[in-house]
Amino acid sequence: MHNKLIFNRGFQNAVLSLAVKTIKLRYKNSFLGLFWSMLNPLAFLLILIIVFKQINHIENFALYALSGLIFWNFLSASILQVITSFIDNASILKSINLNPLCFPLSAIVSAIFNLLLSLIPFFIIMFFLGYKLDISIITFIPFLLITAIFILGIGMLLGTINVFFRDIQLLWNTIIPAFFYFTPIAYTPELVPESQRYLLKLNPFYYFIESFHDIFYRSQFPSAQNIGISIILAIISITLGYYSFTKLKKGFISNI
Amino acid sequence: MSMHTEPMIKMTDVDICFYIQEKGPVSLKEFTLNIGNYKLLQKSFVLKNVNIQINKGECFALLGKNGSGKSTLLRALSGIIIPEKGTIEIHGKVAPLLGLGVGLELELTGIENIKLLCALMGMNKAEIKKTLQDIIEFSELGEAINWQVKRYSSGMMSRLSFSIAIVKQPEILLIDEVLSVGDLGFQQKCLKKINEIKDNGATIVFVSHNFNEVLNMCSRAALVNNGTIEYIGTLEEVGEMYNKLFIA
Repeated sequence: MHNKLIFNRGFQNAVLSLAVKTIKLRYKNSFLGLFWSMLNPLAFLLILIIVFKQINHIENFALYALSGLIFWNFLSASILQVITSFIDNASILKSINLNPLCFPLSAIVSAIFNLLLSLIPFFIIMFFLGYKLDISIITFIPFLLITAIFILGIGMLLGTINVFFRDIQLLWNTIIPAFFYFTPIAYTPELVPESQRYLLKLNPFYYFIESFHDIFYRSQFPSAQNIGISIILAIISITLGYYSFTKLKKGFISNI
Repeated sequence: MSMHTEPMIKMTDVDICFYIQEKGPVSLKEFTLNIGNYKLLQKSFVLKNVNIQINKGECFALLGKNGSGKSTLLRALSGIIIPEKGTIEIHGKVAPLLGLGVGLELELTGIENIKLLCALMGMNKAEIKKTLQDIIEFSELGEAINWQVKRYSSGMMSRLSFSIAIVKQPEILLIDEVLSVGDLGFQQKCLKKINEIKDNGATIVFVSHNFNEVLNMCSRAALVNNGTIEYIGTLEEVGEMYNKLFIA
């Protein structure tokens, strides 16, 4: 029953249908639809340009800030969506014999779809802000997949615990703004004194955001070190996420 | 009579547990101080030592008070809950109908819900396309099939859930108290459909806490009380015992 192979057609179809549902629901009752996914980064961009431009003496700060913001938004929002995916689908979980892995997977699929859709207009804005098209763009999709695995793992770990203790999603909403300032988005890593720069690297999000900066701001291949650490983080994350999920899924129905 | 001895459902020594936080919300301090030597989730038995065999073509009723474990039993039969102990053998395609409007997404329209639920039940695009019209027709929802489900009445929701569940010609139909809300016309239609499904050789398990017409189709029944099967017998016998529960 639950031990069905996750790669069979029925499972894939279920994941896609749930993702389509999530996308439909997001835009169903709003007139401006996609615009809302763009508004938040653009509003933040404005703030960053006004407030932080003075201290960041780098070329083209607007592009730096925008490329960081787009992917920061993607990371923080999609992790939350994966966290809440089990309880959001409580009614389906209770009524249909379905592998609960469907829910986090469909959450990440719909988040990626949303990101790619919003990247079309963002790409145009980036060109206006001075993005130079470079061959390094080919690393974007593979690196996005690594990021997705990282998100899926951390989201499944926290989402599984969240089924039992709803504090997790509140806690997440509380600490994520702090992480925003802990990650080089509003400032460049060079702005931090070299003796303390190692602190930035304690933050797992650093490696992902810096790699996206490389691709979209510096128009260069992400450093081998950043990619390597991102892959390691993704593997650790998905292992922890999957382990906690398989350990605790038997308690889902009684706590959801 | 030979077909009546072929078991479709066989539960052997089945225990089902819930994992709940008995201590209520745990503070972060308590949690971190006691990590390791503190069991966060307490195991509690919802069903204990269940042994039931239901044969092909049989209509079987589960009677019991609210909270006795009937619905949990159906969830176990549909594979949603995995038993702690024992085995559940199911020999056929199961269509669970677990409560009114369960699984329906309120913001989506009737049609969108049909497509979503059919996909989740394992149908592919071609199958869904083929069955969509049948479901819409059976539900008799007319124009309302294009409305968002949040605008449906409870009767309309049960029409939709029922129509989706039975369309696949199930071999095993699990019904949890969903028919009581539809209007008389639709109840009659459902009864007819259930009879038809039964005549095609399907097995039906029906859960209820009161007597009604569907129950009259059942030949055998089980009395579920406090998480155990107290008695299995004819519908009359079990019904009598069930009534006694409330007199004592």
